[in-house]
Amino acid sequence: MRKYLLPVIAGLVLGGIVHILTTLAMPRLALDNAFSRLAKLGPANAVQFVPDPTPAGAVLPRTDPAFVTAVCRYNLDAGVLKVRVPTSADYTSVSFYTRQGLAYYSLNDHAAGQRTIELQLMTPSQRAALPEDEEITRADRLIVESPSVEGVVLVRAFVREPGNRMRVRERISNVSCSPVS
Amino acid sequence: MRVIAIIIATAVGILSGLGLTWFASAGAIGFGATQIGAWMTWPKSGSAEADPYSRAIYARSGELPLGSTDGIAFVANSDDTGAALNGRCDIHIAGHLPNARFWTLTVYDSEGRLIENPAERYGFTSAEVIWKSDAEAEIVLAPHARSGNWIPTGGRERISAVLRFYDASLGLGGRFTNKVEMPSVWQEFCP
Repeated sequence: MRKYLLPVIAGLVLGGIVHILTTLAMPRLALDNAFSRLAKLGPANAVQFVPDPTPAGAVLPRTDPAFVTAVCRYNLDAGVLKVRVPTSADYTSVSFYTRQGLAYYSLNDHAAGQRTIELQLMTPSQRAALPEDEEITRADRLIVESPSVEGVVLVRAFVREPGNRMRVRERISNVSCSPVS
Repeated sequence: MRVIAIIIATAVGILSGLGLTWFASAGAIGFGATQIGAWMTWPKSGSAEADPYSRAIYARSGELPLGSTDGIAFVANSDDTGAALNGRCDIHIAGHLPNARFWTLTVYDSEGRLIENPAERYGFTSAEVIWKSDAEAEIVLAPHARSGNWIPTGGRERISAVLRFYDASLGLGGRFTNKVEMPSVWQEFCP
């Protein structure tokens, strides 16, 4: 048996390397990830409602049923995107993900501190290319830098009680996500 | 002889490596996780500093993690003793709940779907639940109706409970991780 000891140890070392490489590659290799699931809802750079989860299933597994969710799948190749989210006394959040599902930025209505969350989404190079005079007004605007060209903006609004769902849906239907003209 | 040694090393390497990745990306091993009692969370999963394990887990399941300014999610697949949550038992989730703007508790089947029931009761929010005291509540997950805070399990053999705290800073990922007190989870009347 002893003669197999060395190959098995070498195998376990190799296994460790295989494990690290496949784990790191998983976000790239996963075919059924959130981005491709959300892509079925509609075109990029537009807002779509994510249907409420039901026992029959959900667009994204383990969705919190206490929320109304809207999504804007984006592609910044066409230019900077402007995102507007009306908030209310009830909790609202906006989260940003890369195509591979990395949550690189998020904010909620408290953190934003305004009735309407308004921001511009751009790549680092688009930000660098902003004209000088816009630099001055930058302070008034919230700029979110996307590390990837493609990604997802997820808008979630809390439904305090089931009777409120329609009202929350109406408010969320005013979410906009469109190229800056 | 040398060929056999190489074949053994390669086979062991590929099988153990892929096997480990398979279980770790299913969230079955707590790699990269913070565990408090029965509850598991990946504290940095909602930020750009997410660890490779949480990235792999979310990419594989198709979920999106809660953004860190949005909230933090804790998953319980088993009770305090480590036994898998069985929807045919009475599962108690009781105790102190960390401070947050609000929280939600939702029960899912093994596929991450809600569990069908006539009342369309899939979970509780902190606004709906009947509290025991200021920060304590008890919720029962069971196949048959009962008084108090009850979530139907439909008698599914494998279920998971997800507790999400919104707009909360629990201070996880720091040195005081263990100071966060989570409700205990126990099962009784298993068939």
